[in-house]
Amino acid sequence: MIEIKNIYKSFEHSDVLKDISKVFNKGETNLIIGRSGSGKTVLLKSIVGLLEVDGGQIFYDNRDFTKMDHRGRKKLRQEMGMVFQGGALFDSLTVEENIRFPLDMFSELSAVEKQKQVDYCLDRVNLVDANKLYPSEISGGMQKRVAIARAIVMNPKYLFCDEPNSGLDPETAMVIDELVHSITVDLKITTIINTHDMNSVMEIGDNILFISEGEMCWEGNRKDILLTDNQKLQEFVFANKQYQRIRDDKIEGK
Amino acid sequence: MDIFYQTGRYFALLLKVFSRPERHRVYALQTFNEIDNLGVKSVGIVAIISVFMGGIMTLQVAYNMTNPLLPNTLIGLGNRDSLILEFSSTIMGLIMAGKIGSNITSEIGSMKVTEQIDSLEIMGVNSASYLILPKIIAVVMIFPLLYILSVFFGIVGGLIVGPAVGAVTVTDYLNGIQYAFTPYYVTFSLIKCLVFGFLIASVSAFFGYTVEGGAFDVGTASTRAVVNTNILILVWDLILTQLLL
Repeated sequence: MIEIKNIYKSFEHSDVLKDISKVFNKGETNLIIGRSGSGKTVLLKSIVGLLEVDGGQIFYDNRDFTKMDHRGRKKLRQEMGMVFQGGALFDSLTVEENIRFPLDMFSELSAVEKQKQVDYCLDRVNLVDANKLYPSEISGGMQKRVAIARAIVMNPKYLFCDEPNSGLDPETAMVIDELVHSITVDLKITTIINTHDMNSVMEIGDNILFISEGEMCWEGNRKDILLTDNQKLQEFVFANKQYQRIRDDKIEGK
Repeated sequence: MDIFYQTGRYFALLLKVFSRPERHRVYALQTFNEIDNLGVKSVGIVAIISVFMGGIMTLQVAYNMTNPLLPNTLIGLGNRDSLILEFSSTIMGLIMAGKIGSNITSEIGSMKVTEQIDSLEIMGVNSASYLILPKIIAVVMIFPLLYILSVFFGIVGGLIVGPAVGAVTVTDYLNGIQYAFTPYYVTFSLIKCLVFGFLIASVSAFFGYTVEGGAFDVGTASTRAVVNTNILILVWDLILTQLLL
């Protein structure tokens, strides 16, 4: 479980995050949604410590991340996995080497055990045949799957995904969503996903935080979201007319 | 004021670079890769430049020594000492700042703007140390060897060009390069190479590691890295020459 309390963050007199609090549950896909520029990525980067918050606290299973020293954070980070928007794979390494990298750096496993773990992760993301290819030789969707495999290779307790579906076609996006959701449930990890993709929200949104202009505007789950009265959230969700029609059907059905 | 701010950031980065590696074996492997990538792959360009440099230097010395009272052996001596003292260390340093330095800046800068460095940090890896320390060790180790190769190829260049155009005979040239040799000049230049190697790797890495933005900014950072490294090489050349000669 990850809990954030009263998070503030600003850049050069511009307040990007204002008093955000939320509990992200274990074994659920927790979504942070909002328009582009709403502060989602800043919030996610603040939670993982890539950005320092100006105020507030972040707890990882009751361990205060904001008060940890460098060594404590470094240790905790070995319990994290992150999938970046562009994949952030190492260009000079093959798919297999990318996935094995965290094991080589931190694991005490033997070479055989490491290979077994890499093979398991490759199998999990259905990329066994691409193991010897370089990132530049595979598609965007495959790169995202490699990034997911690399993020879970150390059996993390916490998984973070920043716009995992950006730049992908709807079918591939759904594959990624299902993959992240199944990993979250199977491994019982705390997953936080940044997205503005409403399809993802409706497919895997167990626990949703909507932020607008750096402020927390709404929280709930995918069942509640279509029936919301929140004006800003309605503008965000019903920008896609398909969801307006589903909402109307639901209300009429009631 | 920006120069003080940037200098402070540079030393702060160096503190991060020279911290205890997570896994020595991985760092050692990375260092060998960098020796190959940055050092061994520079041998060709060093050889070509040095041959021409030595040849041109031999002609320049020959054309400036038309006085019949001066022995022709001085042509070889002039070429040798110019190469040992300045050309194979400082000029090669300036050239390597362009070749190796821009390579380092663009590689690390590209990793920065594509979030690969953030990715390392999230794993718990000290990204500065992992990316920069092997490069510094590799360049500091390889640059003195490139210097020795450069002196050798420069002397060979003079030996080819001088007699070929009739500026000096082979015998006079060979006598000249053996005449009044001062071993300390080599020691002095090797010390310079260690300093230049450190500057090339660390300053270039600093500009790459601190880049913000996209591809355009990586290009700008590469240019700034080369310009600043060149200036620092010349400043340190002056300081070391005053201190050590």
